Amino acid sequence: MSTGEALARAAQATQVEIPQEARDRARELGWEDGLIELALAKGHSLQVIWQALRAGVDGQRAKEFLQGGQTAIPRDLSWMEVPTEWGIRARPKDPAMGLTIADLMIGTYGDVPDVWTNRSEIARGSYPNPIVEDMGYTIFEKALVWADCCVPLYEEAIRDRWVSATDLNWNSLEPLPHDLERAVCQFMTEQSERAYFTGALWSGWLPEISYGFLELKLFLSTIIYDLARHSEAFRKRALSNGGGLGLQAPTDYSRVAKEARSFPELAAILFVQDSMLYTLFSHGDEFAQNELERDLYRFVARDRKRMMDYHIERMKHMLFKLPDRRDEQNLYLNKAESRMGKDWADPAVSEPLAILLGGGVANIEEGKRKLRDLRKLQVDSYLADLQKATFIRKHINGRLEQAIQA
Amino acid sequence: MAANPATESSLDLSWLDLYEDAASAEPGKKGLTLKEINLGRYADSARGAGDMTYRMRGAIPRPGAQRFGPNYQSKADVWSENCLMLYEEATQRQWSSARDIPWDTLEPLPDELERAMCQLATMLTEVEFIAGDVPGQWMPFVSAQDFEAGLFLMTQIMDEARHTDVFRKRALANGGGLLAQGAGLGLRTLIEARDFTEMSVLMHVQAEGFVQSMFRMGELIGQTEADKRIFRMSAQDESRHLAFGVMHLKYVLDTEPERREEIHHYLDKAEGDAAGGGSGDVTFPPVFEALCILLGGGVDKFDEGLQKFLLLRKRQINEYVHRLTVAGLGDRRERLGPLMAQFLDPA
Ligand SMILES: [Fe+2]
Ligand SMILES: [Fe+2]
Repeated sequence: MSTGEALARAAQATQVEIPQEARDRARELGWEDGLIELALAKGHSLQVIWQALRAGVDGQRAKEFLQGGQTAIPRDLSWMEVPTEWGIRARPKDPAMGLTIADLMIGTYGDVPDVWTNRSEIARGSYPNPIVEDMGYTIFEKALVWADCCVPLYEEAIRDRWVSATDLNWNSLEPLPHDLERAVCQFMTEQSERAYFTGALWSGWLPEISYGFLELKLFLSTIIYDLARHSEAFRKRALSNGGGLGLQAPTDYSRVAKEARSFPELAAILFVQDSMLYTLFSHGDEFAQNELERDLYRFVARDRKRMMDYHIERMKHMLFKLPDRRDEQNLYLNKAESRMGKDWADPAVSEPLAILLGGGVANIEEGKRKLRDLRKLQVDSYLADLQKATFIRKHINGRLEQAIQA
Repeated sequence: MAANPATESSLDLSWLDLYEDAASAEPGKKGLTLKEINLGRYADSARGAGDMTYRMRGAIPRPGAQRFGPNYQSKADVWSENCLMLYEEATQRQWSSARDIPWDTLEPLPDELERAMCQLATMLTEVEFIAGDVPGQWMPFVSAQDFEAGLFLMTQIMDEARHTDVFRKRALANGGGLLAQGAGLGLRTLIEARDFTEMSVLMHVQAEGFVQSMFRMGELIGQTEADKRIFRMSAQDESRHLAFGVMHLKYVLDTEPERREEIHHYLDKAEGDAAGGGSGDVTFPPVFEALCILLGGGVDKFDEGLQKFLLLRKRQINEYVHRLTVAGLGDRRERLGPLMAQFLDPA
């Protein structure tokens, strides 16, 4: 006995309950009253009847079908002939990278529209169903979010992934002097929180972005995953060498990122921190106390480089497409710089770095000098990053300026 | 500290000696995992009251810290006892859709089979897209007191990105293309959820459970080595997502048994409403027909395929009820919607 027959017999034996949804659908399609019961009595399973209803079999066809004593359910198969682009055979351009999403950007499947109009979760390039619910996306404009580099960066992020549990040599850690260990731990506490927060923040924006910009969302998913790993790696370092978690991070900068009302504002604000942190971690050798920290900072800087590439290209693209929004960016950048200046002036932010750069509390003057140099470098690199994005920032915020001098 | 008074006076250092105990986690067999650092006052078991900041569990509260908006204050709202392990497993078992699928073994298929596979891939690349948005939507509400649950969700976002991309790759790699959009797949219920547990039981347990039961039949559905491997690799990831959901539900039912009826209420809606097939519904006609063709081995073997489709549906429903039973919601079997109940094996 086939599964279908078994189901049908079970249905008869147990007086199957007919779902209201099935009755409603049958009425819409013009099925006579009692036709569902008749189909059940003739040995069709509820599932098969349901499939006929979902396929839109009308009352006339259903009746003929049942009277004809056919057993096979009618097929539609119209989906086989929908007018999408057919005959696509994507091939890896670079065999070492494998079949990448860049290799899929062919024919109409590679068209990323300036404005995406479908409000459902339809896969870009598939054939739209005309009657679908609005899924509530709010971002439909390419100029606000897009950067071409997110296509290759997605696959690079996957290729370059690392695992904190096993790719860092935890057995190599040696006890550090108290002030240095505490400084490392305070830095880790702050960075762990910042990474976790930023990961959660980006995550919350995912459901806003429509399917037109699929590759961007894939790339953002790697950013989120990177930030998760950074957060736990920093925490692991804080808890593995005789220290602990220190004071929670200052909240000024993170709050301004959380307050963003639109994606471009969010991206402009995060541009500031992401640029500063990229510079910081790419100079990690200067404040790392051991091999493990050097490796950790190197991994983090490599991930953050991809993030910065995206920021720069997105802003450049947006300013090119929407030149009238250029000056507005100053408002977001100014806010972000101001709050960052406030965070930098916090002793729990500046002192650990100065201690680490100087090699201990005893060398604090040396450490402070080095921190000033590093802060200046961070700001100069940030302004250079903005310039790469075709944005000239004439004056940075005064509070940030003061924080560099402190 | 051997600092001289002159230099020390130029420093604040109030952050330096806020605690006295020393945390010295040692790596275990799998390296230094979240389990090894889940110790002492940093452990999830020592979780204190939350706040509305992003202060990580165990960090010292900062006077003047601003709030970031509401998040869940109680551990049971988001917690799953296996999330530490699942997070680490996720980091170890990431794979690459570009390099870990033997794309070069793809061979041209008869047109109807290629079309059926492409239709299935079209539906899946759509479903997986939502599967990334949904945990994303909830991340801002997961307190940093329960950050491991948040970390796990961030690995899920990565996993779902890979699933979205691998099915798109499959549709475009073998002479085909994308076909008809899915509709009535029951996906709105996932994004409509207004509570984390509601979302988790609908997405992790029901929708991803159905998808998982289908992936586990990938040996029968897949027509090529590459197809089968896609299903195997994706199933590996889905089992983590499911495990999180099942253990989250169990945690809620164990610690807040008064929520049982409320959870049934969400399931009553999801099983009865929409297409009646639940979230991640495979009874949407193009998907149903594509599956029958793939399982049967051609349009002319549609009826054989239909029998296997009914087996797939049976497997989906029974595994779903089994997972709910493991979580402590075994009484669900008495209230399954009729379109599901028809497949239920006797207890
Ligand atoms: Fe998935
Ligand atoms: Fe999943």
